[in-house]
Amino acid sequence: MRTLSSFLRREVVTESGRSLGRCYDLRGELSATNLRVTGLCIGRRALLEHLGIRDQKPQTVVPWEAIVRIEGKQIVVRDDDAPAP
Amino acid sequence: MSKVLGLGLGIIAAIGGFVDIGDLVFNVSAGAIFGYQLLWVIVIGLIGIIVYTEMCGRVAAVSGRAVFDAIRERVGFKAAVVALVSSEVVNLMTLAAELGGVAIALQLLSGLPYRWLIVLAVVAFAVVIWVTSFEWIERVFGFGGLCMLVFVVVAVKLGPDWGKVGTGFVPHISHVNRMLYAYFVVGILGTAMTPYEVYFYSSGGIEDQWSEKDLGLNRANAVLGYGLGGTLSFALMITGGALFLSRGISPQHLGTVALAAEQPLGRLGLLLALVGILFAVGSASIDTVFAGAYNLAQFCGWEWGRYRHPRGAPRFALTWLVLLVLALGILMTGVDPVILTEYAVLFSVVALPLTYVPILLVANDKAYMGRHVNGRIANGFGLLYLVVIMIVALAAIPLMILTNVGQN
Amino acid sequence: MSGKEIDIGLKVLDHQLLDKNGRRCGNVDDLAIEGGVGDVPEVVAILCGPGYWGQRAGLIGRLASWIGGGRRVRVPWSEVRNVDSAVELKRGATELGLGRGDDRLRPYADKIPGAGR
Repeated sequence: MRTLSSFLRREVVTESGRSLGRCYDLRGELSATNLRVTGLCIGRRALLEHLGIRDQKPQTVVPWEAIVRIEGKQIVVRDDDAPAP
Repeated sequence: MSKVLGLGLGIIAAIGGFVDIGDLVFNVSAGAIFGYQLLWVIVIGLIGIIVYTEMCGRVAAVSGRAVFDAIRERVGFKAAVVALVSSEVVNLMTLAAELGGVAIALQLLSGLPYRWLIVLAVVAFAVVIWVTSFEWIERVFGFGGLCMLVFVVVAVKLGPDWGKVGTGFVPHISHVNRMLYAYFVVGILGTAMTPYEVYFYSSGGIEDQWSEKDLGLNRANAVLGYGLGGTLSFALMITGGALFLSRGISPQHLGTVALAAEQPLGRLGLLLALVGILFAVGSASIDTVFAGAYNLAQFCGWEWGRYRHPRGAPRFALTWLVLLVLALGILMTGVDPVILTEYAVLFSVVALPLTYVPILLVANDKAYMGRHVNGRIANGFGLLYLVVIMIVALAAIPLMILTNVGQN
Repeated sequence: MSGKEIDIGLKVLDHQLLDKNGRRCGNVDDLAIEGGVGDVPEVVAILCGPGYWGQRAGLIGRLASWIGGGRRVRVPWSEVRNVDSAVELKRGATELGLGRGDDRLRPYADKIPGAGR
């Protein structure tokens, strides 16, 4: 079992070692019966979004499927799914 | 009819909520030292508190969430702990100062010993709050606090130089004694925008079960109630300026403030002033003790509210009882309530950003607020005041040290 | 079935819990997530109580947790009725083990006259 807090503020990096910033929130899909986790909200824009300041452009969300492994204080994601620098 | 009544009562409560011991101390002393020069600062503080109370009242009415809920949801757990601890410390200091003010007013009215009156005041508050309903407390203290309006008459009767009063409303910097002037700017802003007012106001809206249809009431309460409260602040400063500046008296005692009313109006004036101070400061005591209890309960997610009665919200009731006892302990050390007030106001200024930023954030959240999100005007003012608050918060402690808490 | 897209930290974490009677009975102090890499992860429980504060804020959190008594309550996500500005639950607080502090203090409050209802 993991907790939501264990994801927050963790650094997200790609397999090739590029840092994508920190994870500020988890994106989820809420239905009547469950709450599924679909992705990681990362980077400065996600932080602003977390504070409730929203801009029109879609924020940086890395889909959950892109996660390769979670190790120590880092979340490693596949290069292909990472947003362009 | 009940709507008009509710409006009137809300406004009266807001007047009572605005004027507290901080306003008495800072506005009258500022008048005594700088005459009418700092009137403009009251205007700035007044607009600030109106903007933010309206906002947090709207959030309360639309989403049912109070200020400390918003703080925890928005700035994260860690910052919320910091906000909680600092707000509780400041609230407790303010509560002790207000209760001390109550005891001083009672002493001047009765001649009984000060320490006995502190105990009497605390016990009376504990019993009254435990037993009676929320509206009842607000009304009695609100109406009693209206006696403070005697200071408006006093200010006019003292015959101030209205030309000078007028120029006092124009923002400017003093050429002499700049540091002390800046200290008073911070103090007056701090006392006008004290955080306990928004904690109490927003939770009070939820206690009164506000909904979207009460948004007009909210706006009227904020604008008219605090607006009239501000008039009292003007009157206090003008009184201080007209009476004390020329004589070189710096009022170090709350009694001096009341005596100001005796000068032009005789014994009746003095009596009204003392009763007014008693109820205004008494109502502020209630506001602060509840603000402290609301914050802790909201941070922890406990049931809270006067409308739940002690039985429905026992931890909340225990919290305000403990706060009253702690404040009693502080006062029993013999600390001067006026000095305590100055420290409380200046420390509260430092805690201002942690209170006001989350309100602004939540008031902008469409998912919460629907079509009642902040408009351009509210956001414009809200952001402007954040800048003001940040500057004032940064300046507060250095100024306090440099001026030796306003002593030189 | 596709649902509403939300940011979980923003819209659920640290929000008020209300039981079926509208009683305030804690905050969402953390969320338990099950399903690792490769699975479809899901929020399986609400974690409530000062015992979970330590994992939220390091030393400050552990200190607050210690002062708060460290109690931990786990509420399965299936008990959630609705997520609004508060998280509404399907059952009463006492049944779920929430709001125990208030329940314990209530008999003492009742001994003092005027405690209400």
